[in-house]
Amino acid sequence: MLTRFRVEGEGERSSMAENDDLGIERTASIQNPTKPSSSIGARVRATHDDDEDEVRVSLRPVLPHSSSDLIHQEAARALSVMDSFHQPWLTGVELLDDANRNKHVLPTGLEGIDVLLGGGLREGQLIEIAGPSSSGKTQPLQMQVCLHSASCIADKGSVMFLDTCNSFSPNRIACMVNQFSGPLFKEAKERRLERIMSSILCQPIYDIFELLDTLHQLESTLKHTVKTGGYKICLLIIDSISSLIAPILGGKSPQGRLLMVSAGIVLKKLAHEFNLAVLVTNHMVGGEGGIIKPALGESWKNIPHVRLVVSRDQQSNVFTATVLKHTMRASGRTAKFVIHN
Amino acid sequence: MEIANLPISASQRSKLLSAGYATLSSLSSLSPSHLARDLNIELQEALEILKVVSDAADRSKSTDGHHQALKGVQTAWDMLSEEQMQQHITTGCEDLDHILRGGIHCGEVTEVGGVPGIGKTQLGIQLAVNVQIPVEYGGHGGQAVYIDTEGSFMVERAHQIAEGCINGILDNFTDHDRKILACQEWMQPNSFLSNIFYFRICSYTEQIAVTNYLEKFLKEHKDDFDDLACRTRILSGMSLKLMKLAKTNNLAVVLLNQVTTKYTEGSFHLTLALGDSWSHSCTNRIILYWNANERYAYIDKSPSLPSASAPYSVTSKGIRNSTSHCKRVRMM
Repeated sequence: MLTRFRVEGEGERSSMAENDDLGIERTASIQNPTKPSSSIGARVRATHDDDEDEVRVSLRPVLPHSSSDLIHQEAARALSVMDSFHQPWLTGVELLDDANRNKHVLPTGLEGIDVLLGGGLREGQLIEIAGPSSSGKTQPLQMQVCLHSASCIADKGSVMFLDTCNSFSPNRIACMVNQFSGPLFKEAKERRLERIMSSILCQPIYDIFELLDTLHQLESTLKHTVKTGGYKICLLIIDSISSLIAPILGGKSPQGRLLMVSAGIVLKKLAHEFNLAVLVTNHMVGGEGGIIKPALGESWKNIPHVRLVVSRDQQSNVFTATVLKHTMRASGRTAKFVIHN
Repeated sequence: MEIANLPISASQRSKLLSAGYATLSSLSSLSPSHLARDLNIELQEALEILKVVSDAADRSKSTDGHHQALKGVQTAWDMLSEEQMQQHITTGCEDLDHILRGGIHCGEVTEVGGVPGIGKTQLGIQLAVNVQIPVEYGGHGGQAVYIDTEGSFMVERAHQIAEGCINGILDNFTDHDRKILACQEWMQPNSFLSNIFYFRICSYTEQIAVTNYLEKFLKEHKDDFDDLACRTRILSGMSLKLMKLAKTNNLAVVLLNQVTTKYTEGSFHLTLALGDSWSHSCTNRIILYWNANERYAYIDKSPSLPSASAPYSVTSKGIRNSTSHCKRVRMM
């Protein structure tokens, strides 16, 4: 998206000529509005800096001989250069086409949750799962849902797991993968386990700046992968995003909330551009009247596309999921699901 | 990349923004003295800011696209074999070691909580001694850092436990060998004590520290907190740093916590201190409790272990398996 348009006078043009790497020089004329009979010609130079969405335009007076047609032509060409720096406008039909062709639904393997979500995790969306720490026996329930989704989806594409709690357990994932394998010979089971486990990538992350850095790097990697056709990540899991944001949220400065919202924007952009499903986990805190609610406050509520709360039914293996927010379905619906040991 | 996403302090950020620097490119070709003048800060500080900026700029340019460029990434398959080789520190009690599948895991943060008198400090001291068991006898030959916020660490007790541990090792040898070994310098209780690095925290906040009794520590700094939200922020920041420390140095980080009462659904019951948010922050949690005059340990949270209970006892030699003698003393 074009964010800045700076016009420099002749004196600064020489210093810009040394710096630019992609300069496009165009000639245009600009009509002086107060004196339409005379016109001041100008040379328009558009340069593109890879890191910034900024186009520097410099004006230098030239001999006044250009006609108004040439002005329009050159201005249109300059504008098209600027247009290439941001996403093109899409029509509704194109968006629907993209949704049908590129944004697949990834089942988590947990029947109740898949039913609630209309099939599973949808690529292009940011999904939040919140749960209290007391449910789910020794592992937080929201984390088990993540591991389950990872083991189920890694069969079809790569899974990137960003672990902020040192809670990623390869043994637990191996158990879950083997549960899905069905009747297979021992060697085939081993090979399948290795194949699936090798497509789950895990990285520990311990602060919000590391997260933003990693997402930035991931974006470059994925851009490159699109060109070369390498392996395809289809699911990005962050367990848990609340532990990264909790230390910076609140207090006197709005910096924490700013970083939280930035992270949300980057995640949604990654999801849409590269057809990923992004799954993040959150913990619960006490609210008014002793009712627990998801952490991270009011600002966070708007950021994910889909929000689920999970909890445990007494001491059993049966869990309940409730929809707090969904882009296409009514909220408030619940479903039960089972996680086996 | 925006200035807002750089890891610099809030005051530096606000100074940069109010002076008009909002993006990385605006700072890229600036000299430190110019920046120091503009922001009215010391030259050293300006140098630090520009270093952070150039690091960030380098990182965003250097990715040349293959997925190995993501540092620190491992596949789950590689981690599977690593997890099986994970080291443990024995607790001295076989039953407890059994439910923990070897002992306290290195590379993870484990929280141990329980009522006063249940043996938390004893377990802490026992672990500080057990980590030093030489490699030849199944230990790590390591050292321990003990951070005490309550003043409950008793050197005489540590000496006693070290003696008990050494005698336990020597018991596996014949008389003859035992005499030779007992003379070795490293098998003396004093040398065990010399490998425990003890910090008594009274008044300063350490950014990188292994903390004992976090709640007590925070109570001493209560003046700094105007609200619980601040306490939550500090706790969660601290737990992230401890986890990073544990992972990168393959340390076992053990935190000892108190209990407090909580009022829910019309009744009071005991729960671990520091609140719901803190309960998410640790990777592992073990709760120590009394059950009919016996001490029990219960695994409340773990990424890979199922929940289980095991009895243990506190003896003069340290933490050992539960026997019929070691029951709670009845007050008459």
